[in-house]
Amino acid sequence: MKHLKSINQKAARVERHVMHNTPAAVATAAEHDVVALQRGGPPQQPSAPHIPLGCSLVFSPGWEADRTGGTAGLCQPVERDLFDCHIGCYWPAQVPDQLNHAPDWTNKCAAAQKDWRKIDLVFP
Amino acid sequence: MSHWLLSSMLAAALVPVGAGAATAGQAAAAADTGIPVESDLVRQKCGSCHTPGPDRMMTRISYRRASPENWELTIKRMVGIHNVALAPADARAILKYLSDHHGLAPDEVKPARWEAERRQDDFTYTADATTTQICTVCHSLGRVLTERRTKPEWDLLIAMHRGYYPGVDNQPMYQGQGFRRTRKADPAPGADNRDPAVKAVAHLSTAFPLVTPEWRAWSAAMQLPAMAGTWIVAGYERGTGPVFGEFTVTADAGAPDAFTTRTDLTIAGKKVTRAGRATVYTGFQWRGRAAADGDKGTWREVMMIERGGREMSGRWFTGAHDEIGIDVTLTKVGADPIVVGTSVLSLKAGTTQTVSIYGANLPASLTPAVVTFGSGIQVTRVAALSPGRLDADVTVAADARVGPRDVMVAGAARPQALVVYAKVDGIRVLPQSGMARVGGVVFPKQLAQFEAVGFTNGPDGKPGTADDLMLGPVDATWSVEEYTATFGDDDLQFAGAIDASGMFTPAVDGPNPERSGNRNNVGDLWVVAQHTPPGATAPLKARSYLLISVPVYMRWYGPMVDAGGEK
Repeated sequence: MKHLKSINQKAARVERHVMHNTPAAVATAAEHDVVALQRGGPPQQPSAPHIPLGCSLVFSPGWEADRTGGTAGLCQPVERDLFDCHIGCYWPAQVPDQLNHAPDWTNKCAAAQKDWRKIDLVFP
Repeated sequence: MSHWLLSSMLAAALVPVGAGAATAGQAAAAADTGIPVESDLVRQKCGSCHTPGPDRMMTRISYRRASPENWELTIKRMVGIHNVALAPADARAILKYLSDHHGLAPDEVKPARWEAERRQDDFTYTADATTTQICTVCHSLGRVLTERRTKPEWDLLIAMHRGYYPGVDNQPMYQGQGFRRTRKADPAPGADNRDPAVKAVAHLSTAFPLVTPEWRAWSAAMQLPAMAGTWIVAGYERGTGPVFGEFTVTADAGAPDAFTTRTDLTIAGKKVTRAGRATVYTGFQWRGRAAADGDKGTWREVMMIERGGREMSGRWFTGAHDEIGIDVTLTKVGADPIVVGTSVLSLKAGTTQTVSIYGANLPASLTPAVVTFGSGIQVTRVAALSPGRLDADVTVAADARVGPRDVMVAGAARPQALVVYAKVDGIRVLPQSGMARVGGVVFPKQLAQFEAVGFTNGPDGKPGTADDLMLGPVDATWSVEEYTATFGDDDLQFAGAIDASGMFTPAVDGPNPERSGNRNNVGDLWVVAQHTPPGATAPLKARSYLLISVPVYMRWYGPMVDAGGEK
């Protein structure tokens, strides 16, 4: 935070949070680990976190993580956009596609944001 | 019109490129030797679509080799989307035949063995950036590395993706592109403006061709070693430490290369017994499942058998949670004594303690003189002795040299069984990056187990260098801290909790009305461990990054490749 000056309210809030809030926050500032969507990562991961994190379980940045490896840039809640992925065949490894694997996936679920408990896990 | 005919026509309509290219593939493959399909079952069940050609070749099938898991996905797709009628027993027989005769050699599996072992290790494929980019946008590169195909077959794989998932042509993620080049052509002379998919196929068809020296050698030499007998298990479970036990294998006459198993383990002082069964594919790929009474999830066993059949290694994990597992090495018990490990992974200089040594065929009587740990460590007494375990009282000299030690018992040796150290210089939290998934309402939660391990700086006295010596797990107190990825999102309050053993359990799935924007209980946290070594005043502290993410709604690997599991 040494080289930045806050010029709007949100930035000022961040600055207050980092510099003046709690002992923990001050420690955080000392470690320069306030990270958001900028490239690069915290001190423990000097380059951007390597995504996928795991090789066999975690796939692409965008579904599990944003390009920095965090959740800040994710579509949230995931149910908000789920049907678009399903119908548009986007994230086909994560969301059942309507075209082939699960044409009836949304039958029980008119609006995922309300009916998300009825969404099935698909074993293709 | 029959349902089958309709779906075949639909499939043909959906994959026009694939259907057209199949003929071209056949022609080109004549030069590129295919693998004749000798199984009458495969010819009968698959032959109505995969046209049999001369020399017992079949379209597609003859020009591809793959891991059992990949063949299973293919068979499931044929059943699920192309409505092939297959009895479970036939599906298993076909899977076994294709994995054995159109499989991979051990040297081809090794670089990607983590795929079947469901490891969350870090892996970067450096040989071709385009391949990495266009494949890992959707799935693990492990699926690619466990495939071998002719060039026309790789082309057809691309065509299959385009047919099934039309989005692949322009799904640019992470600064990438889809299968098509979605950026302007580079006007520079000599610039490579081919589509990414074309570049990837050029790489794949040379890096992962159908015919390889490894497969030529293995397919000729392949024979299953005598597996039946007793094996000693030496394992390591994150959060628990070393795990030892016995694994008894009995041949199952009911199916080829099939076995029944009995597992006796001691995990954190608790005895665990499981009964299971397994099949070996391609002469070296052990796929088993086992369950104990009251087991919540069936345990999967994925191992590679070393040539010669004296050792196999891999990972055992729970069916419900791939992320919970034990790394194992199994050693076949013969006539000679063997030592496979010790109850502790490090010894502090200037201390006296009891160390358990695990193995098999240990002599019925032993003097302390034949139990040795190397310089600076004296065995004063053999406290307890059985064929599989002995407890030795050891005294470590205050000036014992720091470094790894071999453990020997009556001529049997375990190289680098433990490390002698003078001081715990620091701790690390493993894994350095972890991931959990919210769940519990609709989908299972994905848990994240962390552990704190001690290290000593090594001869150079500096932390974080190659000569640091890892000392094994240390007791730690666990907490989580905010990792400020999204300002003011209160992940600490919503994302989940870590228990005293370092196990993080995420919160439930679904939109959370208590969070701004109805966010899911996803988040970014630091997992923090503190350990105070005996005699120290200030605690050592370390942390890892934890991503708590959303569920996946597709479970590609359902019931696993194994002996007799339901398909």
